[in-house]
Amino acid sequence: MSQVQQEVFEIISKQAKIEIGTIKTESTLKDLGIASLDAIEVIFDIEEHFNINLPNEDVDFENGTVGHLVEAVERQIASKPAAG
Amino acid sequence: MYVDTQLRENMRRIVITGMGGICALGHNATDIWQAMTEGRSGIGPVRHIDLTRIRNDVIAAEITDFEPLAYIEETRLPFLDPLSQYALVAAGEAIRQSGLDVRGERSSRTAVVVGVGAAGEETREGLYHRLYVENATRFHPLGIVRIMSNAPASQISMAHGITGPTFTVSSACASSNHAFAQAALMVRAGLVDAAVVGGSEACVTLGVLRAWDAMRVLAPDTCRPFSANRRGLVLGEGSAMFVIETLESAQARGATILAELAGVGMSADAGDIAAPSEIGAAAAMRIALKDAGLQPTDIDYVNAHGTGTPANDSTETRAIHDVFGAHARQLAVTSTKPMHGHALGAAGALEMIAAIGALRHGIVPPTINYLGPDPTCDLDYVPHEARAMTVRAVLSNSFAFGGLNAVVAVRQAP
Repeated sequence: MSQVQQEVFEIISKQAKIEIGTIKTESTLKDLGIASLDAIEVIFDIEEHFNINLPNEDVDFENGTVGHLVEAVERQIASKPAAG
Repeated sequence: MYVDTQLRENMRRIVITGMGGICALGHNATDIWQAMTEGRSGIGPVRHIDLTRIRNDVIAAEITDFEPLAYIEETRLPFLDPLSQYALVAAGEAIRQSGLDVRGERSSRTAVVVGVGAAGEETREGLYHRLYVENATRFHPLGIVRIMSNAPASQISMAHGITGPTFTVSSACASSNHAFAQAALMVRAGLVDAAVVGGSEACVTLGVLRAWDAMRVLAPDTCRPFSANRRGLVLGEGSAMFVIETLESAQARGATILAELAGVGMSADAGDIAAPSEIGAAAAMRIALKDAGLQPTDIDYVNAHGTGTPANDSTETRAIHDVFGAHARQLAVTSTKPMHGHALGAAGALEMIAAIGALRHGIVPPTINYLGPDPTCDLDYVPHEARAMTVRAVLSNSFAFGGLNAVVAVRQAP
């Protein structure tokens, strides 16, 4: 598990109050019982944690999996200007 | 709320005799209705905000070319956020059209009820910018009287000398329809004989846009209610106001009756703070029908809440199926929000212009920006172009965040 994935899973587990072990990359937020504003809050927590902005296209609450979310976070981190 | 048959026979009937409005489609109700029949959209890039400070390309249905001094005395203007300016423009037009003399004897027997979802946001943000960013030591002293959400109601009462019950009703996107309900129930109960009622909102500000954007409900392209590939709502602003009075009073004055305000229905989902519920929505529609003494088959047109969010439009469609059964397929169901934007607390009032226009002129304004059918939205949304058809009665839906639903039933003038 990558560092980013570990951190994303920790944020989700904290928000949904579920064991981190129950989160699978193929789970959707909906599968994990995170719906409506709770899901939007998870995305916000992830954005704050990594200091990135996730565009709406990367946030599909119905069909997008946690794996997709991790990939989107990794893409955003990679596209951030080098630290300085 | 709804009454049994015997009570209804003795109930005061309420009619609408004046209408005024201002929004991105025009600065009076006639121009707004004309734009609605043409399927014109007032949505465009936001003009008066620094767009580099916002995540997505931001669009809204903004009022343009508005000269407040053409409508409002210069000495009054410093007291007015755009929220109240819009309300005064719309109320002035409605009262003029009605021909009702609200001064003198009628003054204390007339109410003012205004739906407002937010408040004087432009003034509020300006003051807070001075406080937090500029570290200003002095605040403008008129901040409070401009910001307060009851300002539009107070300003209408002051401008027209109305001394009856005057207040603001706030229930987010259902504020206007809740206002219609309060005004109608006061007239029906005999507490007043007439009311100036509607809604106002001036919410196209950086802070409000950012807050809505953060909920991920703003469409980046445009508003496409009930359509495949709809991506959310687009904010709008403006006001619409109406004069309502008893049928008896209107007939005695020989006033032109625009429509009958036949019934109101209200409900709360008692569920999620944001996600819509078909149960709550259907309940409000059913109660409005019952209150109006109308059967589902009496309705020809539903002016939908139709925000253009994936969740609202499919939920509202299910609720309409539930209430209307087989007749749902016979209904014209349209959302006018792609034209005037979602004006939050003023939404139901602006949409009343559409409902009254449909009743009076036999034209249902279209749902524009429609790309194609979504399997979860399977009603007749009158895409692209207005339709000429007989409209006997209309339901106008508003369903707010917080799970608060309010529906108004209007029908042709008696």
